[in-house]
Amino acid sequence: MIKTEIKIINKLGLHARPSSKLAELCGKFSSNILIIKGKEKISAKNMMDILMLALGYQSKIIIQVDGIDEKEATKQIKKMFTSRFGEAE
Amino acid sequence: MSTFNIHGIAVASGIAIGKAHLVTNVLMEVQHYKISKDSVDEEISRLSQAIHTVKDDLINIKKELQKKASNNFESFIDVHLIMLEDENFSLNPQQIIKKEQCNAEWAIKSQLDTLVSRFDDIDDTYIKERKLDVTQVAERIIKALLGHKKQIIQTENQLNILIAHDISPADALQFKKNSYAAFITEHGGTNSHTAILARGLNIPSIVAVKNARKLIKNNDTIIVDGDSGIVIVNPSDKILLVYEYKKNQWETENKKLKKIINIPSTTIDKQEISLMANIEDLSDVKSVLESKASGIGLFRTEFLFMNREKLPDEEEQYNTYKSIAKSMKGKTVVIRTLDSGADKTTAADKTQATNPALGLRAIRLCLSQPHLFITQLRAILRSSAHGKIRILIPMLSSLGELKQVKLLIKRAKESLVIEKIKFDNEILVGGMIEIPAVAINAEAFAAELDFLSIGTNDLIQYTLAIDRTDDSVSHLYNSIHPAILKLISNTIDAAKKFNKDVAVCGEMAGDPKLTKLFIGMGLTNFSMHPSSILSVKKQILESDAIKLKSFSKKVLKLNDSEKIETLINTINQKS
Repeated sequence: MIKTEIKIINKLGLHARPSSKLAELCGKFSSNILIIKGKEKISAKNMMDILMLALGYQSKIIIQVDGIDEKEATKQIKKMFTSRFGEAE
Repeated sequence: MSTFNIHGIAVASGIAIGKAHLVTNVLMEVQHYKISKDSVDEEISRLSQAIHTVKDDLINIKKELQKKASNNFESFIDVHLIMLEDENFSLNPQQIIKKEQCNAEWAIKSQLDTLVSRFDDIDDTYIKERKLDVTQVAERIIKALLGHKKQIIQTENQLNILIAHDISPADALQFKKNSYAAFITEHGGTNSHTAILARGLNIPSIVAVKNARKLIKNNDTIIVDGDSGIVIVNPSDKILLVYEYKKNQWETENKKLKKIINIPSTTIDKQEISLMANIEDLSDVKSVLESKASGIGLFRTEFLFMNREKLPDEEEQYNTYKSIAKSMKGKTVVIRTLDSGADKTTAADKTQATNPALGLRAIRLCLSQPHLFITQLRAILRSSAHGKIRILIPMLSSLGELKQVKLLIKRAKESLVIEKIKFDNEILVGGMIEIPAVAINAEAFAAELDFLSIGTNDLIQYTLAIDRTDDSVSHLYNSIHPAILKLISNTIDAAKKFNKDVAVCGEMAGDPKLTKLFIGMGLTNFSMHPSSILSVKKQILESDAIKLKSFSKKVLKLNDSEKIETLINTINQKS
């Protein structure tokens, strides 16, 4: 199991499109992937659950990946966040 | 039939006249019934089938879009597709069917209710509005379950006006294909997808028209005024005639206007006139660039501060200002410091004044909370390292305030120097001329400020003593009141005398009927909503600044608004 702390750096936060992209990416892995924000714990494979966390700019979350492809999954998830989901800023 | 008006939020400008076409809200039709234990599996497969149908529909719409529309529309559909596959729709309703032994429609509806209540708890307004997307997806599934073969009723009549509870982006695009003349929805806001798309498709639209589907009946004749947000139901022949004329004008103007987008804005006698845009946030920059505005003449920063509990910190503000500066690529960006209070309240407003328009607002509020002001000043100054930034101070009423402002700007600059943070030390500081006392005494302010910006909305409110938010006195609100015109002219003259830039921002700048009058007064800077730029530019191209001087002089001598209006109409009709 890998736990990674991630800060949201795209300006608009995790609105509809980034949430979709993240859920789509996580859906490709067999690992169980969770987003932890305070007391809340949701599946990173569900776009709407991600959206409803209302993760704004600069908020911090923990991504917890558990399964055979956890290393690759963590790597790609991190990349998606640092590339700001392809947004200009 | 009796005529009546309903009001809503105007989100896409233009005028449309047509017959009402009501779309029912399937969510309200959903009935609940129990199913037997044996039919649970059957009900679940009926649901899966419906979801499958919706998916196919959306994919087809997307394919069609790829042929013509922009990326933006497609990604809206993508969001719906992913929501459809989300466990919240693909799995949870199945469990509801199993647990409650209810019909699939009801399962989707109760799942939607759960989701909507969770969205309602979210503070972020942008994400909150995505609740509409979730609702639209649920509606599609229910329609498929109910066997509504076509999601959209086909129509050949070009003059139908769609009246719906809400419109999903996918629907909106199909509606476009079916040539609806206008959209009216009961739901939505300025930033809802319906609004964004309607503007993109240039279909006059009004949202948040409460009870539209109760008050309007199918086939009622409707006028949609997408500029003022008014829906006129069953208009008299006389009103109809007026609006038909307006509509024709709007349509021909639109066609003509597109042609002048790349023409530089200069008068016949080669005077360059700068047309700038007013914006409220980062997302407005796109329309500014599309309108070919020469810069941003007014960035109303208070929208960054509104609808939130915690005020934006220096870093957040800096990032926004920097992004705007960068996207404008060296063109001027005038950032107005927080104009909070009166009708635009933020978390910075601590007191509820009995007369908020005359209370602790704008620069008065900032000077009473210097830390708040310094934070914003530092953020603006830092962003000046990335573009051509100017600072604009709202609601100045005395030179004493200006002195304090300058002192705080100096302090903000010093703190940045100590921290070795880059900024433009020569940054220009201007003031809004919106309090009559300042407009009367404009020379004193022109001497002390780097530039002036005339805020006509407040200037009218304060000069004529009319509360802008009070409907009962709105008929007295008159932008061509002789006193208003004199104050504006006086301010322009004062700025010229001291060789300072002066602009008119506010609604009057964007009113093409007044362009020639302003040119005649010697105004060379206008700042307005990006959507008005082309119609004002058209007036400029027809103007001869030297000849208009005598016209404006004549107008300024009149003391009767009606006579002023007649004279303005004559000059506008001449060309």
